[in-house]
Amino acid sequence: MGELANPQGASADSPKFVPFQELYLHIPFCAQRCSYCDFTTEATVAEDAALDTYVDELVSIIGYCAGQGALKDVRTIYIGGGTPSFLGARRLSRLVGALTKAMGSLDGVVEFTVEANPESIDKRMVEELAALGVNRFSLGVQSFDDHELQALGRIHDSASAQAALSVIRSSTENVAIDLMCGIPLQSAVSWQASLDAAVSCGANHISVYPLSLEKGCALTDAVASGRVVVADQDTQADLLLQAEQYLQKQGFDHYEIASYARPGFQCQHNIGYWTGQPYLGIGRGAVTMCIAHDGRRIRILDGKWIDVLSAHEAWIEEAMLRMRLASGLADSFIFQNHKGMQKATVAIALQKLLEEMVELGLLKHTQGRYSIADHSWLLGNEVFGRIWSLADHDMFRQ
Amino acid sequence: MTDPELIRNFSIIAHIDHGKSTLADRVLELTHTISQRDMVEQMLDSMDIERERGITIKSQAVRVLYDAADGLSYQFNLIDTPGHVDFTYEVSRSLAACDGAVLVVDATQGVEAQTVANALMAMNANLELIPVINKIDLPAADIERVRTEIEEGLAIPADDAVLVSGKTGDGVRELLEAVARRIPAPSGSADAPLRALIFDSYYDSYRGVVALIRVVDGQIAVGQKLSFMATGIQAVAEEVGVRRPINTPVEVLGMGEVGYLVTGLKDPAEVKVGDTLTLAKGGATEPLPGYREVKPMVYTGIFPLDGDQYEDLRDALDKMALNDPALAYEPEVSHALGFGFRVGFLGLLHMEVVKERLEREFSLDLLATAPSVEYHVFTTKGEFLSVHSPQDMPDATQIERIEEPFLKATVLIPPDYVGAVMELSQGHRGNFQNMQYLSTSTVEMHYLIPLSELILDYFDRLKSRTKGYASLDYEFYGYQAAELLKLDILLAGKPVDALSFIVHKDKAYSLGESLARKLKDIIPRQLFEVPIQAAVGSRVLSRTNVKALRKDVLAKCYGGDITRKRKLLEKQKAGKKRMKSIGNVDIPQEAFMAILKLDE
Repeated sequence: MGELANPQGASADSPKFVPFQELYLHIPFCAQRCSYCDFTTEATVAEDAALDTYVDELVSIIGYCAGQGALKDVRTIYIGGGTPSFLGARRLSRLVGALTKAMGSLDGVVEFTVEANPESIDKRMVEELAALGVNRFSLGVQSFDDHELQALGRIHDSASAQAALSVIRSSTENVAIDLMCGIPLQSAVSWQASLDAAVSCGANHISVYPLSLEKGCALTDAVASGRVVVADQDTQADLLLQAEQYLQKQGFDHYEIASYARPGFQCQHNIGYWTGQPYLGIGRGAVTMCIAHDGRRIRILDGKWIDVLSAHEAWIEEAMLRMRLASGLADSFIFQNHKGMQKATVAIALQKLLEEMVELGLLKHTQGRYSIADHSWLLGNEVFGRIWSLADHDMFRQ
Repeated sequence: MTDPELIRNFSIIAHIDHGKSTLADRVLELTHTISQRDMVEQMLDSMDIERERGITIKSQAVRVLYDAADGLSYQFNLIDTPGHVDFTYEVSRSLAACDGAVLVVDATQGVEAQTVANALMAMNANLELIPVINKIDLPAADIERVRTEIEEGLAIPADDAVLVSGKTGDGVRELLEAVARRIPAPSGSADAPLRALIFDSYYDSYRGVVALIRVVDGQIAVGQKLSFMATGIQAVAEEVGVRRPINTPVEVLGMGEVGYLVTGLKDPAEVKVGDTLTLAKGGATEPLPGYREVKPMVYTGIFPLDGDQYEDLRDALDKMALNDPALAYEPEVSHALGFGFRVGFLGLLHMEVVKERLEREFSLDLLATAPSVEYHVFTTKGEFLSVHSPQDMPDATQIERIEEPFLKATVLIPPDYVGAVMELSQGHRGNFQNMQYLSTSTVEMHYLIPLSELILDYFDRLKSRTKGYASLDYEFYGYQAAELLKLDILLAGKPVDALSFIVHKDKAYSLGESLARKLKDIIPRQLFEVPIQAAVGSRVLSRTNVKALRKDVLAKCYGGDITRKRKLLEKQKAGKKRMKSIGNVDIPQEAFMAILKLDE
């Protein structure tokens, strides 16, 4: 412990930084590490005193940040993990209570999400948190097929996911779940079954992403050694398109590359990441993003500056990140007056690039916005990479 | 000047990797020519690339003084020779400057093809050979087997072979004693007019061309007016000296001595390896034997990845050629790759070394096309064309016949692999000449084989089919007619000239198909489907497709992850930057060398 994110130099009342809009709290504990997971988390037991110590530290940092004025403009809060529900209702309530106290009230918070796993969420937890101001739950489901869940090393089964969803639904409609495609043993049919189940369980926000084999994960090793076979990129593409087609038909908007939501249920916290809102990350492994008044974008992890972008680079990064959203990039973004930049040349370079991508069929330009063309979202990196390569452009070097 | 009776001029010859340079290091150490402190591993291999690859590209000549057991102080001139078949002519000239040679054989590897080739060259030059068995410190050393191979395979008595370890220094003093005792003193006439052999040269940006020479007759002194007998050029000896290994000027180099000469000549073409120096007035009338022009054997297109570097590439080639008279080049224009050069090399190693030095020493990003050879084309109009590049091959309808260069190749293998070598060589259009047993464990096979086949993949496959046992040596044989065609590769419907190559009629189909398949593996999927076709003229022999890219997206991404994901994009981009964009197809550099890497 003692390595929690130290937001040094990141306090919002200091005149140097744009105030934080978003707050992220990281809970790096799980009952068991999933076979595909490379996140900052550790497996332990719920009785572990380290969990209490960790919550104590979060509480004191929250108090400190509030004292610095860093929380006064926060609009969204997200408690993620790891497995936040693994902390149990008591510790989570304590955390939410501490936030309320530190911020005076949660009135300014439009969205407050807690992530949960089916095996560690119950009615009492949901009701207590909802009463305290949590208005959105995100449930780690991944699949409604028990064989697939086993292959992922998940400890819940389909029935417990369904039960958890009904518990949450009885408190709030704002329910999000994750679904994964490209899982070992998965077929187009079982994938469809998971999609069906997700919709019929009443999830109003569904994140869909393909399995990705990260370095050092058990599943990656199993695939490398040939013990497990996973879908290739083309099959993943088919499954992702299958999900898009189906969910759109069910009334979901594909508003971000990996996210589908019914109207009114888009994740504000998530949108903040792609629209350049500064965010404060508290907890082990949580990243903070500050925007300095000279336009620099600084990312801090565990007290260290891990990434500093100039105003130019930050602008290009934001153009790239906005492309993750269906709303894309407004023409006005390109030509807006941006801090510390000689805008004409860079704006022209960006527009030229966007037009080239329209020619290539990667983007479309409609109603004053550039956004990813239908089906081209599967080639998002082609768009992101091209935009980000502008940061390397000669004209940006001063 | 040293009494010629106390001079020993010798060279160390060996198959590549048999430890020649390390042994030379120990000699320098033991004679206190270089102190331990200044010792850089493999002192004589002064280029980085030589040290890294453990090969010698340019010869060197170092004078060392040795106090022998007989109480006399000897002048040893150690002439290090290139150990690779590409540089056979340089080896032969270096040997001509010697009176003896130390023949190094690896105690674990035994006699190999270049051991034989070099030993034969040394014997032809009438050198006294001292066999040395090196690496005796290794557990796998088999001294008796190697002794037998030397005796049976080379017909050199090996019972008095010197046993050494270049690594530990064991036996090095015994070797130096053997040099003093067994290698003859130079024979020549001190009173005759000057005749000195130029056995190597290098370019120094302050001094011009520096020649390394061996005085055969007479003497050479500062201020003398000299004549180069092959080129007819005259120049004054501005400085003569010896290399210890730093250049040390002397007034005179006497009969039998080895040293360097500075004349102020700036053009390497005027100071040719193998030429004879004599006095401009009252000089010798007969040059020393053996001079010939070195000619490139293998040609490749070299293009800057960034077109802006064309002028830099030209400058770099100009500079490189100053030290490498065997390097030939002329501008070449490719539709696909832009402006570059067609560069001629002695062989594949020479090509790789030059390309690597150009990139490393001149900070260039270069793309090389598949190597080809010089074809002699006779047109229906009775013209003769010398074609170095598939691009320059005239239309088939205008060709009366094509001749291609053949080599006399010598392969040494254990008897078990005779069948494998025959099959491989036949597949590469080799004509079997004869074979003989050098010993019960070594067979020597002779083939006439087209150079174009040899440079493609013959040597790699020879190695793999013989589990690494085979060794290969070759020399130029002559031109022979063959039915050859130009095979074109079309990407997205457009011919890419830099991917064309010349192929024998009988192999066009199979090569076209394997090349198209290989390119399909090498060329990454792009936004659009990329059709690949192999064609001769308008006839398509093979076609395949690189499917369009369907998915390339970092789907799962969250706030804390942006920095890392952005770095992934940067890495992706760096990968693309190494590719050549032709039309809208991104082609990795290895595609242009794909013909060398076809599956069997």
